[in-house]
Amino acid sequence: MTKELLKVTDLSIANVGPATPRPILKNLSLSVAESETLAILGRSGAGKSVLGRALMGWVDAPLGVTSGRITLEGQDVLGANPDALRRIRGTGIGYVGADPTRVFDPTLPVGRQIADKYRAVRPEVSAKEAMERVHELFSLVRIPEARHRMAELPSKYSGGMIQRAAIVDAMIGETKLVIADNVTQPLDVTVAAQIIRLFQDLRERLGTAFLFITSSVPTIKDFADRIVVMDQGEIVEEGPTPQLLAAPRTEASEKLIAQSPRIWGTTAPESLSAEDIRDMPPALSITALRRTYKVPRKDKLFGSVFVQAVRGADFDVYPGESLAIVGESGCGKSTLMRLLTWLEEPDDGSVQFHGKNVGSFTARERFDLRAQLQLVLQDPYGSIPAHWTIGRTISESLRLHSPLKGKARRARVEETMAEVGLDPALYDKLPSGLSAGQRQRINVARAIVLEPTVLLLDETFSALDPMEQTPLIELFRKLQRERSITCIFISHDLALVRRVASRVAVMYLGRIVEIGSNHNVFSRPLHPYTRALLSAAPTIEDSPYDPNECLVDGEPPSPIRLPKGCAFADRCPVAQEACMSSDPELMRASERSRVACHFPLAALEPASVKDAAHVG
Amino acid sequence: MIATLSFLTRRLSQGALIVFLAALIVFTLLRIGPGDPARMLAGGLSDQASVDALSKQMGLDDPFIVQFGKYIGGIVTHGDFGHSYIRSENGQSVGGGHGDSAGASNRASVISLILGRLPLSLALAAAGLGLALVISAPIGIWAGLRAGKWPDSVTIMGSSILVSMPSFWIAGLLVLLVSIKLQWLPAVGYSGPKYLILPAIVLAIEMAPIFIRTWSSAISSMTRRDFIRVAPVRGLGSKAVFTRHVLRGAAVPFINTLGVMLTSLIGSLLVIEYVFDFPGLGKLTVEAVMQRDFPLVQAIAIVISTFFVLVNIAVDYVSGLFDPRLDY
Ligand SMILES: Nc1ncnc2c1ncn2[C@@H]1O[C@H](COP(=O)(O)OP(=O)(O)OP(=O)(O)O)[C@@H](O)[C@H]1O
Ligand code: SF4
Ligand SMILES: [Mg+2]
Repeated sequence: MTKELLKVTDLSIANVGPATPRPILKNLSLSVAESETLAILGRSGAGKSVLGRALMGWVDAPLGVTSGRITLEGQDVLGANPDALRRIRGTGIGYVGADPTRVFDPTLPVGRQIADKYRAVRPEVSAKEAMERVHELFSLVRIPEARHRMAELPSKYSGGMIQRAAIVDAMIGETKLVIADNVTQPLDVTVAAQIIRLFQDLRERLGTAFLFITSSVPTIKDFADRIVVMDQGEIVEEGPTPQLLAAPRTEASEKLIAQSPRIWGTTAPESLSAEDIRDMPPALSITALRRTYKVPRKDKLFGSVFVQAVRGADFDVYPGESLAIVGESGCGKSTLMRLLTWLEEPDDGSVQFHGKNVGSFTARERFDLRAQLQLVLQDPYGSIPAHWTIGRTISESLRLHSPLKGKARRARVEETMAEVGLDPALYDKLPSGLSAGQRQRINVARAIVLEPTVLLLDETFSALDPMEQTPLIELFRKLQRERSITCIFISHDLALVRRVASRVAVMYLGRIVEIGSNHNVFSRPLHPYTRALLSAAPTIEDSPYDPNECLVDGEPPSPIRLPKGCAFADRCPVAQEACMSSDPELMRASERSRVACHFPLAALEPASVKDAAHVG
Repeated sequence: MIATLSFLTRRLSQGALIVFLAALIVFTLLRIGPGDPARMLAGGLSDQASVDALSKQMGLDDPFIVQFGKYIGGIVTHGDFGHSYIRSENGQSVGGGHGDSAGASNRASVISLILGRLPLSLALAAAGLGLALVISAPIGIWAGLRAGKWPDSVTIMGSSILVSMPSFWIAGLLVLLVSIKLQWLPAVGYSGPKYLILPAIVLAIEMAPIFIRTWSSAISSMTRRDFIRVAPVRGLGSKAVFTRHVLRGAAVPFINTLGVMLTSLIGSLLVIEYVFDFPGLGKLTVEAVMQRDFPLVQAIAIVISTFFVLVNIAVDYVSGLFDPRLDY
């Protein structure tokens, strides 16, 4: 048994603000050994973050410690005087939170801030040595061009990069334990996977102990030595990772495991088969769509740069199908959405709606198009006016687009509310107090009340937790069956896409790089980027793709300076010479798939993938 | 480097345009306003012929655009702002002659008049501003660090009351008390640095509350920022957090207020110099306007608008040093 590093005994924390204190953590006891990786698992609100902060001696009003002790190598944390506490925080325990953009002063270079911190906790170090140490660690966490990066402001960092810098900040004082609270949550899948790999690497090299706080089982399943499951402020179960995941003993753990995303173990949704689809004219047809933004440059007297947000997107959407567009942040998904709805006009290319070019629509036709093509937005809170009754919110578009009046309009709205699973009695109520799931239903009702033929869903489910997601997905399936609505989902969540889409388009840097049926894309990806996305997807199953082989390094190049050849070439694990010079077009690869790659992975289909899905 | 250069070129050329437009507007307003300078110079008793002659000699018969062109040309080519209509070299008003058409020779050049008065005004402004800054910084910062508690509420209330009192009223009160009743300090005119004290105090009382409020709100909003709140958790000491992050961040709003106060200082100087009969640029301005001394009024307008432009450029530049994200 290795030496015990951190010990928590009988810790209770309560919200002592109100007259009767509300307990938040109840009599927790746990310990972390040297070099151990412990995962704290629990659903949202379980009290994980409160615990994580308390371990740093960070308990702010209205919270207060009501009982218990925390010791680091025998030294009391909660009762430490300010100087001792500062030493514990700088050289004993480091903390990395979910939102690293808020760790640094936005007006100072990142490298200098970390060096300052290092010198604050190790006063014997000189300024020069501190900068050298920062540089060393920046290279260790694989921040490219470390020296140059150190001199930049936090705002110049991407999400993954600033998270790496925050990790350096937490570890620079040679800390023995690093608490990582939800660190991958704000990151894109491939970047999140890189960060997890980085933690594994650091643990092996430095022997630091980690306390990894998360609500996502896949994130820690290959990483943690031991898991502690929390529920409602209590520790309900703990044990070594493989045993606990294989045989959970409590309902809380079971639920967490059952709700974890799966890709290969599930089947693609039933929908119109591809055969039916191809005989119909497309509902929406996009050809060579382009959109470039001109952004003025700061560092030159004159001149501007061009951001190529969408660079020639090409695809058709057939009536009644559900197409998902997946890709990481910044790949142009939302711009594409705005172009499809004609909220913004493309620089080039065309959008055809049931065979008619939207670009040549009259004002009247465009107005009608708005009714036919409805958008359901991402944010369930911001998008619903707080001072309007729910009925008014939903009926607003009827007012503009439909001749229905008075009683008839109300009847239609109530009918729609019932259809999306909202109690029609809520018609005259205000939306305050509704859950995210219910709000999202209002958004859906608002979109379908006009009986549109096409629905665009921009990350509609992302803000919902798995428990709220499932019924909404069911709702969409039902709507599609009954009304044969065409749905276009935009999402970064592969497990979700697997459940809802009949066809999948993968987008990278403003272009569709692969499009095919759900089954083909998930079990026989053709594009190396698709495979990288799949290997990075956090799922509870073992991925058939080995991340070490498929996962891509780095982050997408900026859409300003695009390489001459394939845009993916500098991250592509199978790139060859030809890729550097010529840009692959989106070409037909098989009956139902198209791919933009000179060397598609057709032959590499992994044998381990069962043909679980039968949708072509 | 390039960014700085680009910033300065851009802002200075914009500024030059603004000053030019200000000059044009003042020039126009003076020309279309009531009063004939030639008649005034010639004196009430002169006959029409000599007034006309004088008018011609002064170029007042030329078309407007020619007059303005000559005026600007003089400034740009040899920094010549012309001569006062009224004042002689020794600073006394001579105007209203008796038809002896005093030549431009013994009338004071506008530049020398302004330069003669400027140092006193600058001294007064510096004393007032310095006093305001010295008083306001500690109080404002102290209150800002205790946002929501009583020190903060008290300072906000106190400064609100001070702000709502007109400065001439405060000036009157002080003169009455300190100068007339107690006879500690002289109040009117100027013959030595002692005369600066009372007007400087009035200026400071006018400005300090605004600085106090800026400091307190800037500091308290900084202390609520996430990176300030997690700084102790990263292991930084509270002193370092305060000097390196809180003060730095509060500097930007402070500098912006400073800029606003510097420009509004001009208006305050007009009032206070007049009230205290303090022989500075402010009093000169008031007199020049009342005497319709066009060349002097125009020159002062140009000086003031140049000052406005430079203050604004400096504020933006210095703010950019404290917060490099600001992009002007
Ligand atoms: N500063 C605070 N004041 C009052 N209540 C708080 C405070 N911080 C947390 N809580 C409450 O404590 C409980 C646990 O919150 P905590 O943030 O630790 O959950 P979590 O497990 O980290 O959830 P998530 O997975 O969403 O991050 C919640 O009921 C929350 O409302
Ligand atoms: S074209 Fe080349 S670089 Fe691009 S994805 Fe295909 S193999 Fe990789
Ligand atoms: Mg949390």
